[in-house]
Amino acid sequence: MNVQKTSTGKMNGKELITVGIFSAIYFAINLVFMVAGGIHPIIWLMMPAFIALCTGVPYMLLCAKVPKTGAITLMGLITGLIYFATGTFTIVILLTFLAACIIAEIIRKATGYKSTVGNLFSYVVFSVGMIGSPLPIWLFRNDFLTQIREQGMGEHYVQVLDGLATGKMLVIMILLTIICAFVGSGLSKIMFRKHFEKAGMV
Amino acid sequence: MLKLDPRTCLILLVIANVVIFIQNSAVIEIVWIGLLLVLLCICGAARSAAKLAGVFAGCMILQYIIFPIAPKAIVSIFFIFISYARKAMPCLIVGTLIMKTVSVRELTAALLKWKVPYSFIISLSVSIRYFPAIKEEIGYIRDAMKLRNIKFADKFECMIVPIMMSAAATSDELSAAAVTRGIENPCEKTSIIDIKYGIADYICIAAGILFTVLAVVIR
Amino acid sequence: MIEIKDTSFDYVKGQNTLDHVNINIGKGECVLLCGESGCGKTTVTKLINGLIPHFEENGELRGKVTVAGLDTAKAELYQLSCHVGSVFQNPKSQFFHTDAESEIVFGLENSGTDPAIIRQRLDDTVRELGISSMLGRSVFSMSGGEKQMLAFASVYAMGADIFVLDEPTANLDEGAIQLLARLIRKCKTDGKTVVIAEHRLYFLMELIDRAIYMEKGRVVREFTREQFSALTDSERISMGLRTLTKTALIPRIDHGQQNVPKGLEVRGLSFRYGKQKVFTGLDLNAGYGEIIGIIGKNGAGKSTLSRCLCGLIKESDGEILLDGKRLKDRARRKESFLVMQDVNHQLFSDSVTNECHMSSEDVSEERADHILSLLDLADFKDKHPMALSGGQKQRLAVATAILSGKKILVFDEPSSGLDYRRMESVSSMLKKIAADDRIIIVVSHDYELLNNICDRCFCVTGEKDQ
Repeated sequence: MNVQKTSTGKMNGKELITVGIFSAIYFAINLVFMVAGGIHPIIWLMMPAFIALCTGVPYMLLCAKVPKTGAITLMGLITGLIYFATGTFTIVILLTFLAACIIAEIIRKATGYKSTVGNLFSYVVFSVGMIGSPLPIWLFRNDFLTQIREQGMGEHYVQVLDGLATGKMLVIMILLTIICAFVGSGLSKIMFRKHFEKAGMV
Repeated sequence: MLKLDPRTCLILLVIANVVIFIQNSAVIEIVWIGLLLVLLCICGAARSAAKLAGVFAGCMILQYIIFPIAPKAIVSIFFIFISYARKAMPCLIVGTLIMKTVSVRELTAALLKWKVPYSFIISLSVSIRYFPAIKEEIGYIRDAMKLRNIKFADKFECMIVPIMMSAAATSDELSAAAVTRGIENPCEKTSIIDIKYGIADYICIAAGILFTVLAVVIR
Repeated sequence: MIEIKDTSFDYVKGQNTLDHVNINIGKGECVLLCGESGCGKTTVTKLINGLIPHFEENGELRGKVTVAGLDTAKAELYQLSCHVGSVFQNPKSQFFHTDAESEIVFGLENSGTDPAIIRQRLDDTVRELGISSMLGRSVFSMSGGEKQMLAFASVYAMGADIFVLDEPTANLDEGAIQLLARLIRKCKTDGKTVVIAEHRLYFLMELIDRAIYMEKGRVVREFTREQFSALTDSERISMGLRTLTKTALIPRIDHGQQNVPKGLEVRGLSFRYGKQKVFTGLDLNAGYGEIIGIIGKNGAGKSTLSRCLCGLIKESDGEILLDGKRLKDRARRKESFLVMQDVNHQLFSDSVTNECHMSSEDVSEERADHILSLLDLADFKDKHPMALSGGQKQRLAVATAILSGKKILVFDEPSSGLDYRRMESVSSMLKKIAADDRIIIVVSHDYELLNNICDRCFCVTGEKDQ
């Protein structure tokens, strides 16, 4: 009896449980920044970037432990669903997260699950999915503008809102997230070399 | 005390989201939030309802009374924040309803009824069960770090590495316990939690749909 | 019921984890698998519950194992799970739900049993095992013993005829062990087959029908219960087995002296979380070079006391002095170290040597080498700490404490889950570091260990007991 670990087929019970545990860790790190985002709106806007910086390790470990289709989508779905069900998020995050996960999954599949570059790019895409959290600011833009006018707060605030929720800002946010995802994945590579591989864990 | 079907709560959550995205009238918003708060009260979470009502009132006061007279520098920072908090209110209320009245097992039973794949349910319940374990773990690691004068630069590494190591070990042990209790059985799963829609559930969903329609019509 | 025929197994090729094992167990028998750590007894339990070959995918299995008429290599794990119920070593990592009821019915729900029958089985299980107090409680509020009972109940509910227990008491205290013994007795009277791999033996002596002694992956001897309990102490020790009879505590229970000029003194120490008192008015003292024991029931506050001694939490009342000088919590952190029960939480570096240098900035190469060889770690200098064995990790944690110049070393259950030889080597390590002029405090419910190492013990009685 010598069953080789294969990258095909459905996830077995052990892999599902592994996904569950790593999703919990991913969510926990996520939550730390979410709470921090409550301190100042700018932190909130930068949140996807911070998260991308810090969750590289659980993401890459999950990729290494469960080289199968669906692992990442499942993690994204769990995270999105918990946020959604606790009412802390709008439905937007579920959608952006799901979209990002599916693309990330396709990248993993196309690169054969074990490729460093493939996993790196899938992580970048996955991280960008987090922009679903502050994205409603842009989606609500018109609503906010009407509110400002209704309240009679003057043109100054319209400009403030314009300054924050512009397309330019959105691009900056996405770019920053991508850069941080690269750095986060680099960090995880260091951890792999230094610890996980040496300890015989992966 | 009213007990809603967990599925109703999830449906309400979706409706709450839809309503806030399409509504454009303060009256609709306030009535909708008011009704949800009443629902939260009837379901036995009056305290949380009062808190959330306070937060909502606070947002309104800030927006309509304080902001117009407050210094511009402060307002510009918090304006979006408060507006967003106000928008997120309906979701927060239904979310609180779920957290206060729906247990994990009811949630999984609801998902099972909806024919959500069992593999998803397994991962989800393991995830939820693992949160308290992470908290415990972090407590131990922090204790250990306090006794070891760890340099500030090393702190992230010292925290994440043991957490990952123990996550890997736990997933092995938990899986062994799971497969010996038949988690891989391909048969149709059952649940002892009996969930059924009642009159209250239909009323809630109907009210939700009504508000969705009103939100489209009244602008 | 269980037939293991000429079976060998390797996790890694050529390792001979199991070497031509033959075991036959009849229906209704209660069989003990014993032997030193690494003798293969856990591997045998995995043959029975099918984790080998289905879960350990990289090993190599030869031979044939038949359990309840099923060939384990050919049957699926979920088919076996209807006949074989397994309880594992670690109470923390065997449950899936956060409440007791869901946990008990987990297996039945997995096998698609009719909800009406599941409810019936749930009621029966709760009644027959006498665990109604667990219902409605969060699993996270339960002690290790209760968690193990719950794990047991959940396989009991599935109606298995064979129970496989792999070191179920490794993390349990005396009270919990007795509860578990009660459950095993219940299974036995119901005519179930029980296979138990254990290091702690005394609580099983009246329960087992047979004992199988293993060494290096082979079955070396089989005993009937009478033969097994007739083993003399010297025979037992030469086999590396823990005591067969319940051990009494030899060290005297002390109450602490006042105004000692040298060493540690604790005066009237109290601790409470908010209004919840954990312990009050505790006195104790310990000199340099001395090892003292701390005993007390589960939940009496032993862990809280050790955390308090090390300065991880602030005392509510009373004082802690070292050499006659009062130390506040922050100062205590500099003088003391806690070796945790799960030492995995306190090793951070990427090699044994670096772990040593991390403990303090001015650790010289020679000093580190000296301490490492004192603790038998010199051969593993370049290994990753997590690649070490449990005992080695424990010694490495001790090395870091010594190198950072800490005087007070607190050990939380240093002998949990250890066989006789490893317990002995922990004893000799503790004596060795005490002789290096340190104050050693050992929190334990293992009387065999305490009898070995200390003359005085202090008893923590929690507020709940008084």
